[in-house]
Amino acid sequence: MNATPGHAPVKSIMPNWVRNPQEFVGGIALMAIAVFALWASSDLQGMRGFSFGAGTAPRMFGFLLLGLGALITVVGVVTEGPHLAKYHWRGPFFVTIAILTFAFTIRPMGMIFAAMAAFLIAACGSPETRWKETLIVAVCLTTFCSLLFPYALGLPLQLLPTFLIR
Amino acid sequence: MGDIFTNLGLGFGVVFQFVQWTPAFLGGISIPIPVNILLCLIGALVGTLVGVLPGIGTIATVAMLLPITFGLPPVGALIMLAGIYYGAQYGGSTTSILVNIPGEAGSVVTALDGFQMAKRGRAGPALAIAAIGSFFAGCVATVLIALLGAPLTRIALAFGPAEYFSLMVLGLIFAVVLAKGSVLKAIAMIVLGLLLSMVGSDIETGASRMAFNIPELADGLGFATLAMGLFGFAEIIRNLDAGGETDRKLVQEKVSGLMPTRRDLKETTPAILRGTVLGSILGILPGGGAVIASFAAYTLEKKVAKDPSKFGHGEIRGVAAPESANNAAAQTSFIPLLTLGIPPNAVMALMVGAMTIHGIVPGPQVMQKQPDLVWGMIASMWVGNLMLLIINLPLVGIWVRLLRVPYRLMFPSIVVFCCIGIYSVNNAPTDVMIAGAFGLVGYWLIKHDFEPAPLLLGMVLGPLMEENLRRALLISRGDWSVFLTRPLSAVLMAIAAALLILAVLPSLRKKRDEVFVESEN
Repeated sequence: MNATPGHAPVKSIMPNWVRNPQEFVGGIALMAIAVFALWASSDLQGMRGFSFGAGTAPRMFGFLLLGLGALITVVGVVTEGPHLAKYHWRGPFFVTIAILTFAFTIRPMGMIFAAMAAFLIAACGSPETRWKETLIVAVCLTTFCSLLFPYALGLPLQLLPTFLIR
Repeated sequence: MGDIFTNLGLGFGVVFQFVQWTPAFLGGISIPIPVNILLCLIGALVGTLVGVLPGIGTIATVAMLLPITFGLPPVGALIMLAGIYYGAQYGGSTTSILVNIPGEAGSVVTALDGFQMAKRGRAGPALAIAAIGSFFAGCVATVLIALLGAPLTRIALAFGPAEYFSLMVLGLIFAVVLAKGSVLKAIAMIVLGLLLSMVGSDIETGASRMAFNIPELADGLGFATLAMGLFGFAEIIRNLDAGGETDRKLVQEKVSGLMPTRRDLKETTPAILRGTVLGSILGILPGGGAVIASFAAYTLEKKVAKDPSKFGHGEIRGVAAPESANNAAAQTSFIPLLTLGIPPNAVMALMVGAMTIHGIVPGPQVMQKQPDLVWGMIASMWVGNLMLLIINLPLVGIWVRLLRVPYRLMFPSIVVFCCIGIYSVNNAPTDVMIAGAFGLVGYWLIKHDFEPAPLLLGMVLGPLMEENLRRALLISRGDWSVFLTRPLSAVLMAIAAALLILAVLPSLRKKRDEVFVESEN
């Protein structure tokens, strides 16, 4: 379900007849997910006689979600409601980058590097970050995690970069 | 009756198990170590430690700390998780009382009078009464679980697939009706969760469903991954929005005078009793749990009080009742999980996730096949509560200091901790990316006022529901009326339908909203 919209189109000017944009956009997004799921499960086998095929349940829930999404959209038209909440880009952006960095570096570079990098990138997400203390905390946390996970908890985590081990 | 004592005895036997530890440096002298008690203690401590961080709720705490229990044997892991759960709850109350930032809906009520008490320099008694009330409620709930466990299991064994399916429908409807906010949106979230649970291979035919030939998706979306994305990452991103420091009013003065006065105790005793009874009942109901229990207990206290105007201005009963109810419900909500295998709320859904990772399928069979696990866990609940009482009260000072850690340093640490945690589940970098994606999804959901908790519940119940639905229809040869013709199933369905109609009816809706709105003003 990677295609789930992380951000629905945020328009400051909604058509006038949409009185509850929050619900309206939410409902449409749900319908989009439902259509996507229905498309994705369209190759699966349906009912065979009275026994379920692999695709029966996904289709059932897909149509159910489609209906519910439509209902929510309708509610968004007929009721009064709050405007779309404001999105901030900085926090989500840097946190996401930090997570991705961790995911891409943990295998080749080991945990020490990945944890440090993720920490420092995530720290960019807040305008209040002060670099000196951030660096100190990053080092402490990385040390703590390097002791906690592989040693105290016995999880198989590689600490150092692969090229250093060989 | 004798049964119960035997069972509880077995449970305490498991909890108080000693393992001989013979370290090399002592030269052959072995020391007996109460492993399970230690695990419970560590769990309660770590749970409080994370739960006390502002803005991190119980679900997020349990999800975040799941990985640290992976390396343990199943019994120890579950005992520790139970400890984490209670710790997280108590930590949440501490934050609500001291800084007025409830980590989750359940402790919103505690913040009402608790923070007012703290402002008047009575933070100590507020924290103490919360712990005492929780402990009392915990004791009652433990006995209740022991009493109800065995008979409910016998009922559960009489359940066929049709009954199971109907029961799950009822549970989901309960979750919707008792949840905050729009009924329609909550149902949509459950269905979305059900749909997400379909990703991966089909249980019966093995066909790959909606996996797009991505090998990591072949086994389905990981439960812990999803929970950490939706609750861990999404919470961080949302808190960054709020601007971190600006709205954090900290209680600067020292917390002194922990002990409540004799008058406090006299006043709160009936409140604690009422809260415990109410919480125990609401916890057993599928879909109930801690949140609704604390709201209901607060409302009840206000109704029975001679002078309700005191509530909201530092009334100690307004702390005692919801805290007791909260804890009683948190514990009795284990009953549907242990006896029927159906998680009644999102935290229990996480417990199911943890059990599955250890190869345990919760349900009536566990009760019979692994009694040591079930009764050990039940006994550990009582021990966990005791730990909270004797450890946390003296440690309040430390928790207060922890609250002063600025968010700018805390949030990158949580990001890294979550990343390592998710990665360590399967040693799969893809899991980390999926969790990141769900973090954004969760952020979007919060922005559109969708609750992520029902989604999680749907996600866990999805495979169970599909399996039982399939079986029921196979047995009835495709006849859908089986859900209405089997008496037990029909009763469950009727209750579900009635509840749904009631929830949508305008008059009751108004009442339900009142309960929630009241607490927000």
